Amino acid sequence: MKDNGRHSPMRPFLGKLVGIKDLATDIKLFQIELMEPEGERAFANYQPGQFAFVSALGVGEAPFGITSVPSRGKALEFGINKLGGVTDAIHNLELGDVVGVRGPLGNWFPLNQPATDTGDIIKGKNIIVLGGGIGGAPLRPVINTILDNRGDYGHFTIFWAARNPSLLVFTDEYDTWRSAPDTQLHLTVDRGDDEWVSAGRNEGLITQLLEKVAPSPEDAVTITCGPPIMIRFVTLTLAKLGFSLDQMWTTLEARMHCGIGKCGRCNLGEKLICVDGPVFRQDHVAEFLESFV
Amino acid sequence: MNLLTHDQLMAWLDRLAQETTLIAPRTVDGIVLYRPVAGSDEVAFDYTRPKMSPKDVVFPATERILSIEKQGQDVSLSESSLENEQVVFGLRPCDAHGIAVFDGMFLEKEPVDWNYARRREVTTLIGVACPQMWEGCFCTSMGGAPDDASHVDVLLTAVDGGYAVQATTDNGRVLIADLGLTEVNGEPAPAQTHDSVVPVLDQERWPAHFGDRYWELLAERCISCRLCAYVCPTCRCFDVRDEVAERRTEYARYDRLRCWDSCTGANYRLVAGGHNPRMLKGQRLRNRFFCKFFYVPEDYGVTGCVGCGRCIEVCPVNIDIAEMLYDVSASDQVEVAA
Repeated sequence: MKDNGRHSPMRPFLGKLVGIKDLATDIKLFQIELMEPEGERAFANYQPGQFAFVSALGVGEAPFGITSVPSRGKALEFGINKLGGVTDAIHNLELGDVVGVRGPLGNWFPLNQPATDTGDIIKGKNIIVLGGGIGGAPLRPVINTILDNRGDYGHFTIFWAARNPSLLVFTDEYDTWRSAPDTQLHLTVDRGDDEWVSAGRNEGLITQLLEKVAPSPEDAVTITCGPPIMIRFVTLTLAKLGFSLDQMWTTLEARMHCGIGKCGRCNLGEKLICVDGPVFRQDHVAEFLESFV
Repeated sequence: MNLLTHDQLMAWLDRLAQETTLIAPRTVDGIVLYRPVAGSDEVAFDYTRPKMSPKDVVFPATERILSIEKQGQDVSLSESSLENEQVVFGLRPCDAHGIAVFDGMFLEKEPVDWNYARRREVTTLIGVACPQMWEGCFCTSMGGAPDDASHVDVLLTAVDGGYAVQATTDNGRVLIADLGLTEVNGEPAPAQTHDSVVPVLDQERWPAHFGDRYWELLAERCISCRLCAYVCPTCRCFDVRDEVAERRTEYARYDRLRCWDSCTGANYRLVAGGHNPRMLKGQRLRNRFFCKFFYVPEDYGVTGCVGCGRCIEVCPVNIDIAEMLYDVSASDQVEVAA
């Protein structure tokens, strides 16, 4: 029998809510400082794309992509959309309240640590990030890692989209992104409001904008997160632009209850999103027995 | 063989019931279930297979995995205390096989399932061989046998004058060391098995049948009642949620519970926001069967079915896992021939 440690991997670490900011309609950024040394050790070196369970203690826990990077500060950040029992309870929390955090879990985008399955590392490549709605949350650590190590990557292009302007996340960071060297930000919303339209901003799907901008596939990799339908059509559009599936990375969401390969909930065919992912290369996704859409 | 007389067995069970938690087949409201017993007089000996599998001995239907206490602004968490020693008596070999499948799913990959591991460590399994295969069961098609001793610590097989006793693990040898067994000549007769064997498609042939229309047709009559999962000795899906245990002014205690779940439920794969990649019953029933014969073997190296036949017995709409195995094999032969 393998090691059965002192604590269950299902036991969360305690953390204190040290910051709450509005990100978009019904989406808030929660900043959590871990209160236990064991928790701090566990989260000392988490990678972009990893996730963790956040507990509203007494209501329940749910998995969220971690939206911070460890190099920028001690607080863990999560962008959380108010959509159900647990997220409602998290949205009702106040500064200073104690929460649970369990993780870091899953694999990551191989920006500086090689991917666990392929050994790929995407340092040195031109990077194209495509985020849709709350799907932008797990991509923010990708963006910040690249911006903090700008010399390690080639051209950097960000496509950022939402259904409408009030659902765009991390709006106060766009200027920083835009002003980084050799970095472009392309914004679009499915449907703009008057202000958006009169300013002449992009309206339409992220795929339309992607086709218009048509970034070069040469020496490039793409990193996509958004609703499943968006991931599917972004993949098709990228293929049309000449990208091969092994240049495309994505992260998949799923309902989960354990995050450690036991509860069975997140399977797609024989893959378990929690331990085999959540980050996958599209050529692998294409071979999945079961569709994620 | 080593012989244990009926009287010796009764005395042994009484002693076990005194010294540890003894779980054995017991008749409850007319049905036989694996349940804690106070002594040998509560143990059922005339049974085929208990109605429910014994998985709740190591994986309870509802289990507290965490206690959360709030006193004003202070929060503390505590995990469940150590488990007491428990002995399961009368385990059918297929049910012991089921526990071995759980070991594969919950213990072989890091991190191990902590709660399961702690229970499993203090659990001793005493099997009683089936004298024959029962209606609807097919253990011999799943690598088992009615008198298979592979997954228990001790196996008892009924013979003239009592039981032949076979210890297969160190734990088992210790357990029977002071029973005063009599060495007698001969071996127990092999159990009667069914003549037919249910064909099980090779693992690598399953993906070719993922897209078959068969699943949709089979699931038309499924009512998503999930009984199949609850009686199954290997279904391991669980849900986790918090419940209020106690609430007073300035003090609250909550239990984080994990409960059995089933992939055939409609909302099983639904995510916040409404997306569900397994909206159709056919997709969900297919998931259940693929889990048993392809996903679990791929992920954990064990087959997720032991052939106990319980799901066949309880299904209110006659969805039959053995029939499914015949059907898939038959269509595979058609495909291979073509």
